[in-house]
Amino acid sequence: MTIWKLRNNNPLRKSYITNNITLSEFDALIRITVEMSKYLYPYIREIMKSKENVEENSVVWNDFNKRFIELIKERFNIDSIRVKKLLNQAENDEIIVKSLLILSFCISNQGYQKLKNFLYDF
Amino acid sequence: MQNNLSFHQSSVSLEIVGLPDYSNDENNDQISIISQWKLTIIDKPLIEGKFEHLLPIMNAFYIYSNLLIKNDIPLYESKLIDIKAENLHIHTIVLKSSKTNVKPLILKIGNSLLSDIINCFDQLNESPKVRIKKTDLHNIPKKFRFGLNNKVKFFNFIMPPFIAICSLILLSYSLIYFYNPNQNNEKKELINPE
Repeated sequence: MTIWKLRNNNPLRKSYITNNITLSEFDALIRITVEMSKYLYPYIREIMKSKENVEENSVVWNDFNKRFIELIKERFNIDSIRVKKLLNQAENDEIIVKSLLILSFCISNQGYQKLKNFLYDF
Repeated sequence: MQNNLSFHQSSVSLEIVGLPDYSNDENNDQISIISQWKLTIIDKPLIEGKFEHLLPIMNAFYIYSNLLIKNDIPLYESKLIDIKAENLHIHTIVLKSSKTNVKPLILKIGNSLLSDIINCFDQLNESPKVRIKKTDLHNIPKKFRFGLNNKVKFFNFIMPPFIAICSLILLSYSLIYFYNPNQNNEKKELINPE
């Protein structure tokens, strides 16, 4: 429930509510993301790999991109310019690749610290 | 007798050969004096070298991975190794030999192999059995400082990373779409038929 409420602090969401997120809540979200990345690494890797070979049809990548866009449309405020960027297929490849790379670089025991550094430098 | 330690991540494995530093009363299975290392990438030529090459190569990969996330045109160049991005998904690595008559080794790797390599290096850095001078992992300038007394500053400071973490969580949710728990159960049943 707490995590569900925290998600609404994201100004890109339809259900955005202005709450002050505390540093410990922010840290907790980072830890959850790192644990999810460890668990999902084989899938993250497969998605990145499917786009590497130009000759092969990148089915996995296309499925992932389709689902990503579906989720954005369902949950985010699509009138926002930043959300429109995420939905634009010509522009969102770079955002998706960088996000997947960040997740895949943070699966070690020091992943929490690494992800925190990446995020502070965003 | 030399000790041998291996670190694996998907298609990449890193092997470290060396000895403990007996003058520091180290255990027999410890490696503090690295004599050789090998980086094996499936379907690519073997990369190997001495200790003095290991840290510059690890640093090159760490710095490049940071540049990749921050810059539009990531490029790392040194006497030993060059890494540059061919496009969003492919990277070219040029390994230069210290011997004059040896041609440079050119490798093309994708994002999946790059993350495997970084994760192997992370495992080496975190291993309690190998003691090496730690690399500067992140090399990220600290642009921001905490100003907890100033609420506006704190809000401006926390919001960009918060938006970023929410985007990453959303991305992770869409990854669950690919996870099939039934498939895992079937695998477990095959291992434990009872």
